[in-house]
Amino acid sequence: MSAMIPFHRVNVLTGIKSARLIEDAAEYANLIQKAKRPLWVLGPLLSEWALDGKLLIEYALEIAKAANIPICATAHVKGKMVELGVKPDSVYDAVEIVNALKDPDWRGVKKEGNHDLVIFFGIRSDLEEQCLSVLKHFAFNHLKTMTLDKYYFPHANYSLPNFRKDEQWKAFLEDLISELKKGG
Amino acid sequence: MAEVKALTKKQEEVRQLIKAEIPWEPVGPTPMPEIPDLRSWDMRLLKTYKPWYAPFCDLCCLCTYGKCDLTQGRRGACGLDIATQQARIILLACLMGCSAHAGHAGHILEFLIEKHGPDKKIDMGTFIELEAPNIRTVTGLKPETLGDLKTVIEYVYKEITYLLDSTHFGQEGSYLDYESKALHASMLDHVGMEVADIAQIVGFDFPTSVANTPMIDMGWEAVDKSKPVILLVGHNPATSCTLIDYLRENNLYDKVEVAGICCTALETTRYSDRAKIVGPLSRQLFFIRSGIADVIMTDEQCIRTDMPIEADKVSSRVIACLDKVMYGLEDATDWDTEEIVKQMVEDKKHFAILDPEKAAEVAAQVALKISPRRKKEWISEEEAKELAGKCTQCDMCERVCPNLLGLGKAMKDISEGNFDEPQKLFNKCIGCGKCDQECPQHIPILRVMQVVASKETWRIRAGRGAIMDTEIRNVGAPLTLGTIPGVLAFVGCSNYPDIDDVADMVYEFAKRKYIVVLTGCAAMVAGMKKFQDGKTVYELFPPDFDAGGVVNVGSCVSNAHITGAAIKIANIFAALPLRANYEVMADYVLNRVGACGVAWGAMSQKAASIGTGCNRLGVPVVLGPHSSKYRRLYLSRKEEDDWRVMDARKREIVDTGEPSPEHIAYVAETKEKAMVMIPKLCIRKNDTPQGRSIKLNHYISLYRKYMGGGLPEDLHLFVRRDADIPLVYKKEVRIHLKEIGWQPKEPVGLPTFIGTYPTKVPLEAVIH
Ligand code: SF4
Ligand code: SF4
Ligand code: SF4
Repeated sequence: MSAMIPFHRVNVLTGIKSARLIEDAAEYANLIQKAKRPLWVLGPLLSEWALDGKLLIEYALEIAKAANIPICATAHVKGKMVELGVKPDSVYDAVEIVNALKDPDWRGVKKEGNHDLVIFFGIRSDLEEQCLSVLKHFAFNHLKTMTLDKYYFPHANYSLPNFRKDEQWKAFLEDLISELKKGG
Repeated sequence: MAEVKALTKKQEEVRQLIKAEIPWEPVGPTPMPEIPDLRSWDMRLLKTYKPWYAPFCDLCCLCTYGKCDLTQGRRGACGLDIATQQARIILLACLMGCSAHAGHAGHILEFLIEKHGPDKKIDMGTFIELEAPNIRTVTGLKPETLGDLKTVIEYVYKEITYLLDSTHFGQEGSYLDYESKALHASMLDHVGMEVADIAQIVGFDFPTSVANTPMIDMGWEAVDKSKPVILLVGHNPATSCTLIDYLRENNLYDKVEVAGICCTALETTRYSDRAKIVGPLSRQLFFIRSGIADVIMTDEQCIRTDMPIEADKVSSRVIACLDKVMYGLEDATDWDTEEIVKQMVEDKKHFAILDPEKAAEVAAQVALKISPRRKKEWISEEEAKELAGKCTQCDMCERVCPNLLGLGKAMKDISEGNFDEPQKLFNKCIGCGKCDQECPQHIPILRVMQVVASKETWRIRAGRGAIMDTEIRNVGAPLTLGTIPGVLAFVGCSNYPDIDDVADMVYEFAKRKYIVVLTGCAAMVAGMKKFQDGKTVYELFPPDFDAGGVVNVGSCVSNAHITGAAIKIANIFAALPLRANYEVMADYVLNRVGACGVAWGAMSQKAASIGTGCNRLGVPVVLGPHSSKYRRLYLSRKEEDDWRVMDARKREIVDTGEPSPEHIAYVAETKEKAMVMIPKLCIRKNDTPQGRSIKLNHYISLYRKYMGGGLPEDLHLFVRRDADIPLVYKKEVRIHLKEIGWQPKEPVGLPTFIGTYPTKVPLEAVIH
């Protein structure tokens, strides 16, 4: 496998198992739709990052709605979500939610069983990468992970590339929303 | 049932070492404990607070069988799995931390015993009788002289050897046992730190038994650069105190400016309130590159490993004063002073000088000679704009920045003369210099940043050492009952997301009448923000160990006084014997003392062992986001875990369902989240209804402030009866509890883990 260097070098993979890089929104949508019990882990940076004046949290909530995915709000992002009229299905910190997720017998945020696909979005990249590592090493039997941040995360199962330009990222997110709407 | 066994030779030897015949308290079950002695306590802790591992690396490469791929359940050629490998790395980190402090303690003891003799009495002043709570609890020895401290540190050395041994190929194979060993190493770290700081207090006459220590000037602008400047970097005060003595004795103190970075700065200002604190570790490289220091004296821990190279760039001169760090320099300890000075002045050479007196004399002479010829100017606005203008927005700097900072935008702003945003960014910079070396345009980024660096100065209170016994007597009851909502210890290094975070947290909690204690870099940065009337937290809040007090305890080694204060509460207030009685102390602290550590910028291995040592003693620690890179936390899962404790009064096991404290080593993503977690981690099962309602009041109000309103999702777990509900939220909370079908439960009179796991400690031992 050719090495993709993550944008932030503190996240360089020292090992052998790195994320599959996916640039096609339809493929992402397909993976999300195939999952039985996906979970959205949304971080506090979503209420700081914006693309053309639209906060990333708004994209995240649109995706959640389009694909009907339950949300776990980490850190203090819940505040912004509530402001936008959405109550998250659960509130844990990043390290806490992965701590629960790594247990195959955990009942999940909906109490319907543990999740099989966990999508991370909006956590500072070094912490997000560490959280992905927890799941890569201790939950590989029962779940897969995916990221929607602008950069490549080697410890995930599926990751976006390092987008050079915000427009590429924006286009991906918009395509993903429309793919999910199509599929739904 | 206990048959009286004859003492083994080893036990006899230990009893001799700890002077067991002196009956200040009966000797408890674990004098000078070895690896297995507190293992069952560790396993009990680890049952609730399970290790959480985030491997940095898929591989192990520690022996030539490797590299071994440890992914997806694979084991290495030796049989090791990924969890055990993480635990081994953690143990190594804790051992590095522990040995850094133990080495520091050993060096300083050697120096002070040389100076004062081994019989120099330990006297911590009128208000401190319990002089060494960690040492007494762990070893069972009541140290009376510097010589006794040597006995203690030799015990620590011995344990370090056995612990390090276990990390070798083909040894320990259980992650839980490695964790137990890491907890052991880290408990010993607090012993080593206590040895170091008691020795320093006694040997250098640092303040003790006093709260109102002098206020010190802090910030690079506080340094008078028109004078010769000697900069001290590191942790060991043998260098700095000797320098100050030399300057005083030779009437040079008016002519030479002494400044410090990192803990040495804190130590130096305990010795002389005229010395200046430049700032925490994160300002080291930045300040060195300013060229303001004529001579840089390094000692140990947290100093730049490229100091001579950096010094050359601005023609400062370096003296390496301790054998831990010699930089490959020529050892001039036995040279003639004049010759060293000559070579440093004329040939711009750096030297190792391991005799503090000689190093002091050389530093002063060199600084006096070279200062008039050296340039010490901050960059001009024009030059900064021009350099920043070379930026092509390539992002290479951002890619290597450990704090993930994008500098391209800042360079653009600076080139256009807009300094506000770059100034905010500079507040987040941890000063590593990685951006500089990566920039393809060779922009000296840190130098350019001089133009936005704050030229303010701040006031910080000098470190005061141990908490006084009298203070413990006053706060013991309100703390254990919960009416003082908690003791918060802000400790650790400067790898935080933002330099203002610590000050903001200290301000928030001191205002809420928590007791706030601080050490090390955290103590410095807490003072680097001005609140109302331009005052820092040290000027706004009283220096007492009491509700709403803000106490600078001192340097890193002063962390032992924080764990020491927790032990003092158990011993002085609750009257539980502490001698060789670690398990009872830890059980008391975990279950009954609402204390929480906050290591927001933890970065070093020392911070790993300081934090892990707090954990073994039952003090939970909140870490900043970078600390996920330590790769191990201790987390519970509140809904699923077992929250049973023994009610020692009723002698029955009670299922409380109450996750207090919820985690003992936890990473908060943001300052806001930390502000919500900290009050929660101060909740203890023995809180009185009044105490609990005060604690919940803070928990709810901080939750509302930072989480956008509403009630905490887990609030119901912490309400035992209606009386626990804070008055202001009574109505809303009652409605909420009714909705979710909450049922009241009996508070536990005397909660303890003793009796819930196999231990030699009888239940009577925790009843006071
Ligand atoms: S120590 Fe064990 S896991 Fe590590 S490289 Fe050697 S054989 Fe492999
Ligand atoms: S010096 Fe500051 S901005 Fe540069 S890489 Fe280090 S932390 Fe980032
Ligand atoms: S590496 Fe240099 S040129 Fe590139 S963005 Fe950073 S400062 Fe600008």
